[in-house]
Amino acid sequence: MTQASSTDPYDLLIVGSGAAGGLMAAKAAAAGKRVLILEAGPVAETHHLVSSQKWARRHKWSGAAVEEEGNLKIGHGFNAGWGTGGSAKHHYAVWPRLHEDDFKTKSLYNQGLDWPLEYRDLQPFYDTVQEEVGMSGDAAAEVWRPPGASYPMPPVAVFAQGKAIQKGFEALDMNVAPIPVAVNSRPYKGRMACIYDGWCDAGCPIGALANPLVTYLSWAREDGAELRNDAAVTRVLHDSSGRKATGVVYRDAKGEEHTAHGDIVVLAAFTVQNARLLLASATDKHPNGLSNSNDHVGRYVMTHPSNSVYGLFPEETMPYMGLTGGQLICHDRYKERDKGDAYGAYQWLIANALKPNDLLGIANTRPDIYGPALETFMRDAGARMGNMVFVGEDIPLAENRIVLSRNRDQNGVPLPKAIHNITAPTEAMCNNAVAEGLAIFEAAGVEAPWQGPRFGMHILGGTIMGDDPETSVTDAYGRCHELDNLYVTGCGLFPTSGAVNPTFTINALTLRTAEHILHSH
Amino acid sequence: MEQDRRQFLKSGSILLSVVIGGSMLRLTPVAAREAEVPYQVLSPLEVDTLEGLAEAIVPGARNAGVAQFIDKQLAADFSDSLLMLKYLGVPEEGYIPFYQAGLASAAALSQARYEKPWSQLSAAEASTLTAAIAAGSPSGWSGPPAGFFFFVIRSDGVDVVYGTEEGFAKIGVPYMPHIAPEQPW
Repeated sequence: MTQASSTDPYDLLIVGSGAAGGLMAAKAAAAGKRVLILEAGPVAETHHLVSSQKWARRHKWSGAAVEEEGNLKIGHGFNAGWGTGGSAKHHYAVWPRLHEDDFKTKSLYNQGLDWPLEYRDLQPFYDTVQEEVGMSGDAAAEVWRPPGASYPMPPVAVFAQGKAIQKGFEALDMNVAPIPVAVNSRPYKGRMACIYDGWCDAGCPIGALANPLVTYLSWAREDGAELRNDAAVTRVLHDSSGRKATGVVYRDAKGEEHTAHGDIVVLAAFTVQNARLLLASATDKHPNGLSNSNDHVGRYVMTHPSNSVYGLFPEETMPYMGLTGGQLICHDRYKERDKGDAYGAYQWLIANALKPNDLLGIANTRPDIYGPALETFMRDAGARMGNMVFVGEDIPLAENRIVLSRNRDQNGVPLPKAIHNITAPTEAMCNNAVAEGLAIFEAAGVEAPWQGPRFGMHILGGTIMGDDPETSVTDAYGRCHELDNLYVTGCGLFPTSGAVNPTFTINALTLRTAEHILHSH
Repeated sequence: MEQDRRQFLKSGSILLSVVIGGSMLRLTPVAAREAEVPYQVLSPLEVDTLEGLAEAIVPGARNAGVAQFIDKQLAADFSDSLLMLKYLGVPEEGYIPFYQAGLASAAALSQARYEKPWSQLSAAEASTLTAAIAAGSPSGWSGPPAGFFFFVIRSDGVDVVYGTEEGFAKIGVPYMPHIAPEQPW
């Protein structure tokens, strides 16, 4: 039995409290709008961000299972977040901008898709966001960086690990730059500076890292936005015409069903969940799911193929110091994405801070070592290890998609199934990148560098934007082609993945959409 | 850093909060075992097998409380689980069957090869079985893929041995917490 917990419609009803939901709520609340944010996960505040890789797992996805298939699974359990702040609560705040070419790979390289906007359309929003939340970096040193305002703070510190690896890049005549991060290298707008203890993955409780708990979501709540936790949205409602969303149905922690109404409904859940929700909200007006008469909802799901490279350096590297996301960055190969058999841009994130345990921790860099040899390795690696990771471009393919499973969650909603495969050109790009990484480590003096397993970093696509309603789900503002007041946000909108961490672009796109909504509705 | 390490080593072992006779006590994992604090999910044979296998993979795992750690997580709500299995694509309802099936296979392997449980194996015997599981194809294995099971138990062992302030200090890595955890798990 559905209980109406609110008959008064909100101006904006936002599903999800992560990077996109928080920013959207902040802008709307600041403009005087009544905003309700429905968050599927529990309450999380900065004091919950305990410095432990075990306790950090409470901040990773704990909702309904996501079934996964393919030769490069999307890794939803590790990539997605849980609770207030969503994935951005534990993200590493590596914020490079997409490159200009990323927006038109179909036109330039006959690969993938073109976006319905160009870099220059997004640039002012990148600039605004980086000033609002604070970023550290050295724009001049990023010789590959597209046009944009300089960073408001100087770069974060580089420690022994970064300096050791940098020698390898220099030996091969490659450029590195301080990593651009939404982390304070000095106090910024009342938030503390980073102290480089490498706990970013567990969440930054001091506010040096710009997660939603200390930036947009916090500002939204100060301006009156209401956040309702443990509210799992199960479907989006629409009016009798099928053209207007009217609200959502959600279940609370006790399993009781409620409705909430909004003049505008914004889906700001994680990539997979946005697509799932559209598909699971099918009605007689939208029998294939909302905004899915063209069967494009769920298609073109992407993940950045990635491998880490490891090595034991002759000198001590203090691999536990710095940021989880790295100390340096290299985009030298970004514009060389088309190499015949190989296709795809990639970046290097260099000298990530490591902890002994966890999926990306020191021990699992050599999962073949066990028994008495393990402690020897742990001591050695804890002193001399270096690592870096390449983040590769994924080609958007229509057959890579999110569909509904036959299995259902406890609320009766079909589980999502994510099917994702990479093809030969991407595989070749990955192999080239790994070979380059091993060569860089050898040039830096490492005798026997090794690589980790391939994995998917970030999850993108599935609700792609485009100019043509026949081949996309939303327009360039994330508005669904088939419902006039239903918006989708996040990197599910990206028609191409680029080869950079997506959160900065999510923020820029959401700001662009927020301004559009506030001006047009 | 060396000063920090000495300080951690002198500060004693991991303490668990356990309930005995209605009272909450803070005990080391070893003391909790000696006090026969009951397990909530794992059977005695599963505990025996888990401790034997984890100890062979990550020396120190038994006394660091690997069985108490996993048992507590399996008894907890999914959203409170601290198991790394969370990242590895095993659905919530599959957690207990994953461990039970893997441990049953490991116990059967020990019986088939040596006709005794893991706790009675010599170090060499445990090492031989562990190598077979790590290689991914021990005869008669019917649980989750053996290589994957090895990876998970290894990660669990690393969590309890190296994922604490004491464990960091053991390998010379400063813990440097913003907010120190009140409990190891």
